[in-house]
Amino acid sequence: MEFFTNFPVMERTALMELRKGIDQTFRTFSRAYGDSIEAFFDPLLFFLIGLEKLLLSTPWPIILLVLAALAWFGSRSWKLALGSVVAFILIGYFGMWKDCMATVAIITVCTLMCIVAGIPLGILMAKSNRAERAMLPILDMMQTIPSFVYLIPILMLLGIGKIPGLIAVCIYAIPPIVRLTNLGIREVDKEILEASTAFGATTMQKLKSVQIPLALPTIFAGVNQTIMMALAMVVIASMIGVKGLGVPILRAISNQYLALGLFNGLAIVALAIIFDRITQRYGTRIQKHRGQKK
Amino acid sequence: MKTFKKLIISSLAVLGFFALSVNANAACGKLVIAEQNWASAELMANVDKVILEKGYGCEVELIPGATMPTFTSMDEKGEPDMNPEQWANAVYTPLKKAVSEKRLIIANKAPITGLGEGWWITPGTIKKHPEIKGMTAMEILEHPEWFPSKEDPSKGAFVGCPAGWGCQLANANLFRAFEMEKKGWVLIDPGSAAGLDGTISKAADSGSPWFGYYWNPTSMVGKYGLIPVDFGVKFHSRDNWDNCVTLAEQDCADPQPTAWTKSEVNSIVTANFASTGGKDALKYVKKRTYPGEVMNGMLVYMADNQAKGSDAAIEFLKKHEGVWGKWVSGSAKKKIKAGL
Repeated sequence: MEFFTNFPVMERTALMELRKGIDQTFRTFSRAYGDSIEAFFDPLLFFLIGLEKLLLSTPWPIILLVLAALAWFGSRSWKLALGSVVAFILIGYFGMWKDCMATVAIITVCTLMCIVAGIPLGILMAKSNRAERAMLPILDMMQTIPSFVYLIPILMLLGIGKIPGLIAVCIYAIPPIVRLTNLGIREVDKEILEASTAFGATTMQKLKSVQIPLALPTIFAGVNQTIMMALAMVVIASMIGVKGLGVPILRAISNQYLALGLFNGLAIVALAIIFDRITQRYGTRIQKHRGQKK
Repeated sequence: MKTFKKLIISSLAVLGFFALSVNANAACGKLVIAEQNWASAELMANVDKVILEKGYGCEVELIPGATMPTFTSMDEKGEPDMNPEQWANAVYTPLKKAVSEKRLIIANKAPITGLGEGWWITPGTIKKHPEIKGMTAMEILEHPEWFPSKEDPSKGAFVGCPAGWGCQLANANLFRAFEMEKKGWVLIDPGSAAGLDGTISKAADSGSPWFGYYWNPTSMVGKYGLIPVDFGVKFHSRDNWDNCVTLAEQDCADPQPTAWTKSEVNSIVTANFASTGGKDALKYVKKRTYPGEVMNGMLVYMADNQAKGSDAAIEFLKKHEGVWGKWVSGSAKKKIKAGL
């Protein structure tokens, strides 16, 4: 009877040995390769630090100007450009400028990294069913596994700082762009593809001039989602020493500083909305453009 | 004859009762001990439970606790009867008041030796830069080049406290007091306890230098053999510490260089503990002092084996008879050993 009421578990000591063994193996691995992996990411770190320094040393009116210009070129909407500038002025006025720039820097680099790695992966998935079958569960895992779980090995391997933070953010933020690139390319009309084949286009030509342009709005939705998810990870990244808007939030959580938490949380929301609107408008603008041509 | 027998039996019975009650009185009654939610406190509570039960015949119940709730409950309600590891700085004034009003008794002023907060280096640091051995913080601060920061190797990295902890403010203010920025240091915010521990284990694993804030007793200190650094200056003054160093930066205009404040940890008991537990139990608590290394060794054991306080207590009693043997009377020691 006991067998049925108590689930048969692995023996306690054996279970502990297993856990200890896994820990030990990873520790040996990180001791052996940690430094070289770190060195591999050095250029990225250099770029990230450079960008942050640039953002911080540029006079704020210029940043506001650049922001307004970006918003305008992205969306062609005066309202949005004005709104973004006002939001940034408020962020600066409430003393969050420095943290905000640090966050913008890491989000920018992270988005670039996700695009550079994610779009080719998405194309690969669209081209090969086998790759898609292999990738889907990995993407599912990346999106659902609690971030604290992969923070541990990242910490052991790379310590704390910007690079481990960047990797943690990217793990969480890259799946949408991979998924949506895949989806966008797969959804391209079969007949259009057939037509291009009939005109004698090579695979590369088809990809470059037919599939990607037609999938661009979907891909853009992916970029947009990636930015949103990266922003959502800012606080978690701060737990492993990434500067930015997440740090004051952590401070607010452990001391119950309501206003501090609210201000910085709202600053993240403002960043998210600005990025979201600009990229979304940009995405729809490309689509409209295509619609007109049709 | 019959009456005589009856008499004997009843007198025996009475005697028996008497003896029993005397025994119970001498051997103390029911006690409640707080088992706070960190490793060293868990261990101490469980060791106290075993020793008081087996050696002194008490009946001990452990209840979960944490610094503030446990203290408040002891102060207001007189329950639990004992907190083996009360960090006194957090409850300084109310504790003083409760002691003067005889509600609480500080039974042991230093249950663990060598404990406290401060600045530490890893042993790997000494291996790389042997001249650092015996240096004070003041002297180490002249050599930021020994601890190159990852993000800006021209600066020295000093690992402070995670955002939101009380010690974060103290470290940030000391960073200013020692003029570390001018000397070429950056203050690293590790973000979380896991981040802080991560920097240490990473540095220790790769043998690279590490300089930063930590505290004792902890398994990290025991596991990696962290070495405390003398500040090289005396504790400046209570006023400097309480009204500047521990406050937010804008409230502390001119922090003075100072050593870290001494952490006071006590074993405190209620008046009820003294009366039910009896003199012997109180004497035990008074004598019970864990040497810092032994405590750290136990914490490493607990961390490595993911052991509970109760398992660790048995391990401690089996392994360190030389330590706890001195805390108890000879007869109690025999009983405890037999009971293991």
